[in-house]
Amino acid sequence: MSDMVKLFVNGVEVEVEAGKNLIDAVGAVGIEIPHLCYHPALGADGNCRMCLVGIEDGRPPLVPACKTPAQEGMKVLLDAEHIKKIQRDVMELELINHPIDCPVCDQAGECSLQDYYMDYDQRESRMTVAQVNKNKKMDFGCGVVHDQERCVLCGRCVRFCREITKTGELGIINRTDESRVNIFPGRPLENRYAVNVVDLCPVGAMTSSDFRFQQRVWFLKKSPGICHGCSKGCNITIDHNRQKYEDDIIYRLRPRLNQQVNGYFMCDEGRLSYKQQNENRVTQVLIDKSEASINDAIQSCLAKIENSSSPLILVSPNCSLEQLVAIKALADQIDAPISGYSDGYIKAGDGDDYLIQDDKSANRAGLNLLEIDTTKAKFEERLATADLLINFDNDLSLSYSDTELKEMLSDTVIIALSSQKNYLTDLANILIPLAAYSEYAGSLINCDNILQTFDKALSKNAPLDDAAIVAAKLGGPMKNATDIFCELQKLIPALSNTELQNIPAEGLNLNNSEASNVTA
Amino acid sequence: MEVKEVKILSAKFDIKNAHKIETAKKHGAYSTLDKLFSMKPEEVIEEVKNSGLRGRGGAGFPAGLKWSFLPKDTGKPIYLTVNSDESEPATFKDRYILVKDPHMMIEGIIICCYAIDCHESFIYIRGEYTSQVEILQEAIDEAYNAGYLGKTVDGHDFKLEVTVHRGAGAYICGEETALLESIEGKKGQPRSKPPFPAVEGLYGCPTIINNVQSIASLPFIMEKGADAYKAYGTEKSAGTHLFGISGHVEKPGMYELPLGLPLLQVIDTVAGGVWKGRALKGVIPGGSSTPVLLPEEAKTATLDYESMAEHKTMFGSGGIVVLDETVDMVELVQNLIAFYHHESCGQCTPCREGLGWMLKITEKILSGEGSMADIDLLRELCDNIEMKTVCVLSAACTMPVRSYLDKFRHEFEAYIQTDPSPHKKQEQASP
Repeated sequence: MSDMVKLFVNGVEVEVEAGKNLIDAVGAVGIEIPHLCYHPALGADGNCRMCLVGIEDGRPPLVPACKTPAQEGMKVLLDAEHIKKIQRDVMELELINHPIDCPVCDQAGECSLQDYYMDYDQRESRMTVAQVNKNKKMDFGCGVVHDQERCVLCGRCVRFCREITKTGELGIINRTDESRVNIFPGRPLENRYAVNVVDLCPVGAMTSSDFRFQQRVWFLKKSPGICHGCSKGCNITIDHNRQKYEDDIIYRLRPRLNQQVNGYFMCDEGRLSYKQQNENRVTQVLIDKSEASINDAIQSCLAKIENSSSPLILVSPNCSLEQLVAIKALADQIDAPISGYSDGYIKAGDGDDYLIQDDKSANRAGLNLLEIDTTKAKFEERLATADLLINFDNDLSLSYSDTELKEMLSDTVIIALSSQKNYLTDLANILIPLAAYSEYAGSLINCDNILQTFDKALSKNAPLDDAAIVAAKLGGPMKNATDIFCELQKLIPALSNTELQNIPAEGLNLNNSEASNVTA
Repeated sequence: MEVKEVKILSAKFDIKNAHKIETAKKHGAYSTLDKLFSMKPEEVIEEVKNSGLRGRGGAGFPAGLKWSFLPKDTGKPIYLTVNSDESEPATFKDRYILVKDPHMMIEGIIICCYAIDCHESFIYIRGEYTSQVEILQEAIDEAYNAGYLGKTVDGHDFKLEVTVHRGAGAYICGEETALLESIEGKKGQPRSKPPFPAVEGLYGCPTIINNVQSIASLPFIMEKGADAYKAYGTEKSAGTHLFGISGHVEKPGMYELPLGLPLLQVIDTVAGGVWKGRALKGVIPGGSSTPVLLPEEAKTATLDYESMAEHKTMFGSGGIVVLDETVDMVELVQNLIAFYHHESCGQCTPCREGLGWMLKITEKILSGEGSMADIDLLRELCDNIEMKTVCVLSAACTMPVRSYLDKFRHEFEAYIQTDPSPHKKQEQASP
């Protein structure tokens, strides 16, 4: 805990963190100071002038809160009439050249300018002269579409490209009210985090070509989640909605703040990974390519397991810890070896030194924790002698070509439990659809050994079982969440005295404390 | 005090080829260096403080005091930047120094740098001064060749490099922090203060920024002493100043005068009075950003910082503009706002959006489409924009505009009541 100082806001004493700027310091105790250009990840710029506050007895008496550190005894004025007037006046100036696009603007509903207008202005326009006209639709590349007229020139996007990605594609050209954000001719956005500028934009000037005009944001349900796109486990908000007569589907993913994992941002690839949750899903139970009921399929599986002399269980590195525990218990029960071979999920050299990891799976650390073998040699050796492969959602087509797979699996019975269609689901003798990660709750360990939990986000019209439930149905001994958690507590000492719901929101760093003594 | 020109800064202005080092040296250039290096830097600062020299860029901040704000022992180099951007409309004093007597300024740079322990100095010259920059660079080259700049200044154990940096034509680069950004190769946009340049300036190092005329005043103070300088001017506004008198006078030009002279007498005796026998309508006392004075106000005003402040205007940069009775104040305001709008860097909201709005409202009034509410709105916007911005450019526009609106409101109203204005009608009648 850093040092605290006492200061006064509107005459009321509050205790805030020393050294933080006033927006953050006072914001932490629930007092809002309006701001457009300031963003905690990008620092203070001081250009929007929305955060001007009065400092009683101070020199100067009027300061931008974003650039003013909280100091002991400071008397901050926010609700004084002259400060309210400044906020109104600056709002008016922000708005005079701002088009009233709200009815067609994607940002409407989550727009700072809209919110501040309601909170701080609420006056009729006095603009009786022509507005400045600028470019309404510019393709900036990487799926970012820019509207110069809506732009408030806060420069967050420019600073993001300079300070975070260090690629510097964006700049503000021209002076006066002809200022506009632009790219250099022929040099569009070219970085793997570009779409973050859409989140950063406090107004609707930056829109994502993927999300543009798809949904009004007030219809979206915002559920927290963890991105499964790579082993970083970026915290996300899953924005989903069930439109009338339709299923509950995801419309976009947005990064969610977690200072321990991803900060404020996520990569573009992860952001678009929601499509795998919506599209190309396995939804129909198939036995020998004919539609069947889930009960028939389970019965059929049980018979195949019963008759098998050497079954092999394969798990996905994306399975949650809970699923892995349940599946491993099933393997022990039926005396089958278990493999987590998934080299195809690793794209060597693809990662960077920021968020993106080589390993495109979410829980490889979990496989290691449960001592599930992931070597190619062992997998192939066991597969060669196996007569039954029970595959829990491991996309083998990432590790092998289709011809290789056909060859390897030619005389093996395949039970595929899968959320996504792939080559293996085509080959399967029995195919059972599984829930995707947005449809169940669980926990993961990321590449930095941080344990994070996530909740179920979507409620599908026809809910699918997740891998842990299917494992139980196939005869696994872990029948409920309590059993599974008890097992997890044995595996992870850091969990021994806690409940799953008590895991901190920022995740549990297993490198710290007694967790470092985890015997792998 | 006698209303008469003096020759301190302008002593060599009338001498042919005084911009050349041989001629300049014949007339005393670089003669103060021996005395300078015999003194301690603190003594030099003290002498400049005692002289009462105030910054000649417009704000009038005491020069010696500014130097003493430099933090000690930061381990960082200290920089001097000479502001030769001179972009305030109606101001043309520094260009005289740059062209007529650049060695006086170089000598001043040496004095200042010795006082503040600076070994790297930059002269930021406005982009439009194309011929001036050539003369200046030639003078600097001469000074290097003569050993007054470089590794050992005049044979003393003191290193000093002087670099000329040309602007690209933006008014705002005369604002000291925008100027620093521009030297650093960035877009010329003012920085938020604090930190002030004396603490964190060029490349994050302590930096002193002085106007050309302030620096050029130093050799005289070194040579003759603080008291000799203080003998000119008033108690609080010491010394002399180069005044550029323009507008509707018989003899427009650049005149060096001691501070504190009565404004109207200067216009009448030095600049020959209002031209063509016309009546005086107003005086802009110190560049376009200073609020206008009515003739009756001008009667009591004297040319010093205090009197101008008492008259609710500013001394500014010494650019006096005389306006005769034919001037259309609405057109003047339109011209004024158009300039400041065009030069707004576009960084912060009130200035970026507000000046454009003010311009359009003024144009609307000029076109005869305006209403009384527009005049009130224009007046209100002056208050709403001023001092809410990162720098004072917006105030440089709103302060004078407010003065015209308050002092000549009837002219704005006339545009609304008689549509269009009488002389516009004449123009339209005889195309």
